[in-house]
Amino acid sequence: MDLSKYAALFLAESREHLNACNASLLQWERAPAAVEPVDRVFRAIHTIKGMAATMGYAGVAQLAHAAENLLDALRHSRVVATPAVFQLLFKAVDTLGAVVEAAAAGSEHDTDASLIADLDAASAGNAEAGTPMGEPTVSASAGLVRTAEEPKLRRASDAPKSRPVQIIISRSAVMRGARAALVVRRAETLGAVSGIQPPMTQIERDEFDGKLFFRLLTRRSDAEIALTLRAVGNVESVEFQETAGDAPGVGRQIRVELRRLDALMKQVGELVVAKNRLTALSTEAGDPVLIELSGRISRLVGGMQSEVLAARMTPVGEVFERFPRLVRDLSRGLDKRIRFDMEGEEIELDRSILDEIGDPLLHLIRNAADHGIESPEQRVAAGKPAEGRILLSATRERNTVALRVTDDGRGIDRDRILAKAKREGITTEEVDTLTDDLLVRVLARPGFSTAQAVSGVSGRGVGVDVVMTRVRALGGTLEVRTELARGSTFLIRVPLTLAIVRALLAEAGGERYAVPLAYVAETVEFDRRAVTAVRDREALVVRDQVIPTVHLRDLIDSGGASHLAKQPTVILEIGERRTALVVDALLGQHDIVVEPFDAPRGLPPFVGGATILADGKPALILDAAALL
Amino acid sequence: MNQTVLVCDDAIFMRTMISDILSQAGFEVVGEAESGLQAVEKYRTLKPDLVTMDIVMPDMGGIEAVREICKDHPDARILMCSAMGQQALVVEAIQAGAKDFVVKPFQPSRVLEAVQRVLA
Repeated sequence: MDLSKYAALFLAESREHLNACNASLLQWERAPAAVEPVDRVFRAIHTIKGMAATMGYAGVAQLAHAAENLLDALRHSRVVATPAVFQLLFKAVDTLGAVVEAAAAGSEHDTDASLIADLDAASAGNAEAGTPMGEPTVSASAGLVRTAEEPKLRRASDAPKSRPVQIIISRSAVMRGARAALVVRRAETLGAVSGIQPPMTQIERDEFDGKLFFRLLTRRSDAEIALTLRAVGNVESVEFQETAGDAPGVGRQIRVELRRLDALMKQVGELVVAKNRLTALSTEAGDPVLIELSGRISRLVGGMQSEVLAARMTPVGEVFERFPRLVRDLSRGLDKRIRFDMEGEEIELDRSILDEIGDPLLHLIRNAADHGIESPEQRVAAGKPAEGRILLSATRERNTVALRVTDDGRGIDRDRILAKAKREGITTEEVDTLTDDLLVRVLARPGFSTAQAVSGVSGRGVGVDVVMTRVRALGGTLEVRTELARGSTFLIRVPLTLAIVRALLAEAGGERYAVPLAYVAETVEFDRRAVTAVRDREALVVRDQVIPTVHLRDLIDSGGASHLAKQPTVILEIGERRTALVVDALLGQHDIVVEPFDAPRGLPPFVGGATILADGKPALILDAAALL
Repeated sequence: MNQTVLVCDDAIFMRTMISDILSQAGFEVVGEAESGLQAVEKYRTLKPDLVTMDIVMPDMGGIEAVREICKDHPDARILMCSAMGQQALVVEAIQAGAKDFVVKPFQPSRVLEAVQRVLA
């Protein structure tokens, strides 16, 4: 595995954590009794240790490890936080900052052995700090502590190495997951452990096939490690090699043409529709044998569906890869200084979505570099660092993936955009503030680029309509957060997969509609007594929260309001926005296959696609974003 | 000198059985505890070479007891006694500092194997 491409990420994250450490240390120093800052610093240092060990930056990991031990002792009140201890911690954070930068720049030098020795002494309560009990205590993470003389004898040649370790727990073992946990604990007595695969949470749930992988930063020999780990019992083998691919425990891989996966997906889609129909029919027939069989087929198809989907999942890093170069070239062309960072490259998306998401991201990044980030002179004049920053990040949020392009540039001038919007009749004169919601709607108006109209501020309109169209076509949403002089964030949210989605079926005016579950927060009952009004709009009060309502019957113009006093209501949620969609009836959750769909003219904007239901009849898929 | 054991379990039946297995193998059972709280207290006074610890006990559970004991004695040799299906709890106990585990129903040979590993 080539780790060099993660160096930038390591650096960016470590910097963030170290900044946070400084803030927390200051806070803690002011209120030494507070628990929270200690925990925060501990976690930050722990994270840096893990990352450094993974990267093979032994010096960083060692220093972080020593600092972590001291923090752990403080956390558990085995050592008292005296001014001397704070001084030591500040020094450790500063030094960590220096070694992190050096390591990422490829020039790792030996860490300050005396600092590590000081930290070790303080953890053991031997510093001037002293322990509360007066008796030197061993750190609770004693498993992690190296023997005391080691730090003083450190030489470059015997610096610990980060080793890949593969363990197989024998099949006959009881509670193989717990055995794996013991192996990890034992490994921790040899050095710092990181990158445990599968993650412990998965192992706890017994979703574990006996193959364990982790990286161990230690000075011990392979033979010594193997001997120690085997002593845990029920260990079938200990090997020191990287796993195939990035995912450990994965066997051999083959390349498959995407076309085949698409075809397979389509077949599975058809199968899901047929399965739904079978389930409906067998329930109708009421024959227990038939119901049992259709249940079995359901489970089999479900399993097949998730396998095919998993085969199509690809890390977003594949699309991200081309951006650093792009930003570099852009910044040269624009005579700007821009630092570009990426996070969450390992987050996975369906291949077909991934293929579509590159261009919208490209637009947003180009906009950020071109219009967001100011020239170095302007930045310095505004009291900002000369170097601007753009961050591209991916995070998994429920059934969606959120992709953010954040810049620390000039932000968007709402007043000018608002004035422009009023001139063009996009919004009414009464509106006096431009909310983020309205802003994105204005920016995404086709042709709302108008360089002159907002010249000198930002031509941010350029291409946003294109982005919006592409994202909406994927069933996704686009949001903007911006603050003048501070920067902007564009957020693209897309579903994990396109082909098959889980949806809530609702009925209104005799028609059925599918609402993708990714955007359903909950369902409640629409009770006329809980209705209130917010700015002339009907709204529903749900647990002290006021949520604007939309009646599906009104939207589809089916005429005649429902006479029911209580109606089922679906609370839609995208980011922080919520809408209560009032329907006639809810028909349960179903897997629906999204059919390719050429929207005929005149189709209402809240329709995002179509599907075939279990009874073979079509239904429209609602576009949650358009309803909010 | 025989190695000493503290047996912690809220069921007399289990305590008796574990004590028998260990005594026959030459260990000296120096104490028994029927709650986590007792386990912690007795550990402090008896300083046994080995502790067998049930997970679910009144007053203070076994995991909490492990955590308490390991706070002052990280090298305490504690063997968890668990029932089937308690994997998540066993993992938690291990992370709290337990050194190994056995799963009920006990087979004397398995218990002794685990004890050997813990004391190794």
